[in-house]
Amino acid sequence: MKFKKAFLAIQNIWHSLNILGKISAIIIVLLILMAIAAPLLSWLPHDRSSGPPLIPPGLPHLMGTDDLGVDIWAMICYGSRVSLLVGLGTAFLAGLGGGIVGMLAAYKGGWFDRAVMRLIDIMIALPNLPVMIVLAAFFGPSLMNIIIVLALFSWSIPARIVRSGALSLKEQPYIKMAAHYGAGPFYLLTRHFIPELLPIVMVSMIRLAGMAIVTEASLAFLGLGDPTSRSWGLIINHAVNFRGIYFTDFWKWWLFYPWVFLTLLVTSLALLGRELERIADPRIGR
Amino acid sequence: MSIIRNRKGFRIIEYALTFMVIITLNFALPRMMPGDPFLHYSGEVDEVITFYSREQIQYFREYYGLDRPLYEQYTSYLKDLSRGDLGFSYYYKDDVRNIIMRRLPWTLFLVISAMALSILLGIVLGSYSAWRRNKWQDKTLYAILIIFSEIPAFLVGLALLIWFGATLKLFPLAGAVTHFAQFDTWWERMLDIMHHAALPIVTLTLARTGGIYLLVRNSLGSVLTKDYMRTARAKGLKELRVKYVHALRNALMPLFTRIAIQLGALIGGAILAENVFSYPGLGVLMRNAVVVRDYPLIQGIFLVLAVGVMAANMLADLAYKYIDPRTRPAVKNHQDKIAS
Repeated sequence: MKFKKAFLAIQNIWHSLNILGKISAIIIVLLILMAIAAPLLSWLPHDRSSGPPLIPPGLPHLMGTDDLGVDIWAMICYGSRVSLLVGLGTAFLAGLGGGIVGMLAAYKGGWFDRAVMRLIDIMIALPNLPVMIVLAAFFGPSLMNIIIVLALFSWSIPARIVRSGALSLKEQPYIKMAAHYGAGPFYLLTRHFIPELLPIVMVSMIRLAGMAIVTEASLAFLGLGDPTSRSWGLIINHAVNFRGIYFTDFWKWWLFYPWVFLTLLVTSLALLGRELERIADPRIGR
Repeated sequence: MSIIRNRKGFRIIEYALTFMVIITLNFALPRMMPGDPFLHYSGEVDEVITFYSREQIQYFREYYGLDRPLYEQYTSYLKDLSRGDLGFSYYYKDDVRNIIMRRLPWTLFLVISAMALSILLGIVLGSYSAWRRNKWQDKTLYAILIIFSEIPAFLVGLALLIWFGATLKLFPLAGAVTHFAQFDTWWERMLDIMHHAALPIVTLTLARTGGIYLLVRNSLGSVLTKDYMRTARAKGLKELRVKYVHALRNALMPLFTRIAIQLGALIGGAILAENVFSYPGLGVLMRNAVVVRDYPLIQGIFLVLAVGVMAANMLADLAYKYIDPRTRPAVKNHQDKIAS
């Protein structure tokens, strides 16, 4: 019964997506499957040399090798896990934390609400990347640190959404009615606020995941990524820092394939997030 | 009237607090690092991390005054800052302020050009789209610009570098000027600078135009349905006047604050674009500083960027009241006089 309901809901969303949204959704599902099935998809090791260095795509190296002879297709397969881990981890932490803060701000009001709103303004205006670079420089570039820092800097978006949503819900007659009949804060929260607000938070989390993946890739590109993680950004970083990469043909596989996968994933997440936002809130966008 | 003035005063206090938060954060960072900050790094296995010798660790300890009490460190830090002293770079052997001042013009050049171009393009394309709402021109333009604005700037930059720089050899691969070149006239020099800056500026412009385009398109779309548009047409005004004076001027109001908010993202994009094109601005400097672990320099750049962005936001916020005809103080005064 629950499955059928979920299926129907997904079908509903699918039909209201435009063509860009549909393509994005398919790409995202394929990339998630790729991350799950990484060991099945790549028959060569992703963390050590398995052939001569810098050979062009062919068999058995589907997408060629890098300067150490590591198979690029294998690195891309495993790299998708890093990207998705960063995206999911950040979106989950930021969504949860931001949701709690937003709910508290709406519930308490007064000076607490004002302070939170001001903090959100600061967070949105602060240039994110310089802050990330400074934090990565001081605290070390482990994947865990990157996720925590990213979450610390992206909770403001779900917090603002939840706050404004909760404020307008609070004024709804049926909520007031329920409160009047003696419903406690906990009951109201679990029965009315969370079910109503969860969809819009989830939608904002898709966007957050996209942004987190971009930021991790950017940091890795600058050489500040987790050196043990082998993310797509790190492959690009190694390729770009290879002396004379632009004067040879090596970029045609070493730089090109990670570029394509990263662009596909990030752009799809952003476009799908934009579409879902439009569906969840008809006032935004088109 | 007094309420408005109070709120404005309140805003200024809020911004002052914000600046204090940034400055304090900058102070706290090197002191918040887990364990001993410099020992911690000298032991980690990583390709970008340089190893610290005993003398270097000693140097940083003394530099930050880590053996003195915290409030003393903080007050001396604030005192230095108020004199415009950002510290001394260990690696470049120079004042952080001087190093930053040498690089800042290049970054400002990129950011300002890209912003001007993307505002111009965004307004032109956005209004074109709004006037052809839901026709095929609008739909194609929308799809193209949205896709371009969602691809991260540094990935676009890499593609441009490979295609126009490496394959077609139309643009230089790195730098801001041709080194050791002699120029006969100033405009040849200008041309050389433009030639080097073209790809980074295009990269940043592509990344920013989409957002402005969307804003103009939507806000103009809603202005076009307003009653005063019909009034303007009914008065028999020329179509051009209706479009540009009545519609566009009102539609551009939200753009002002939006640009200030986007400045942070633009700075982030510029840091990455500079690194893609090896453009000698603050972004490349910051990366180099991280690679050699030059903490005072990293902090100095961070402070300049963060304070700059926040100051721009503050100015936009305060100036908005003067630009928006509905909240312009002069008009309010006038109305007050009439009322009294």
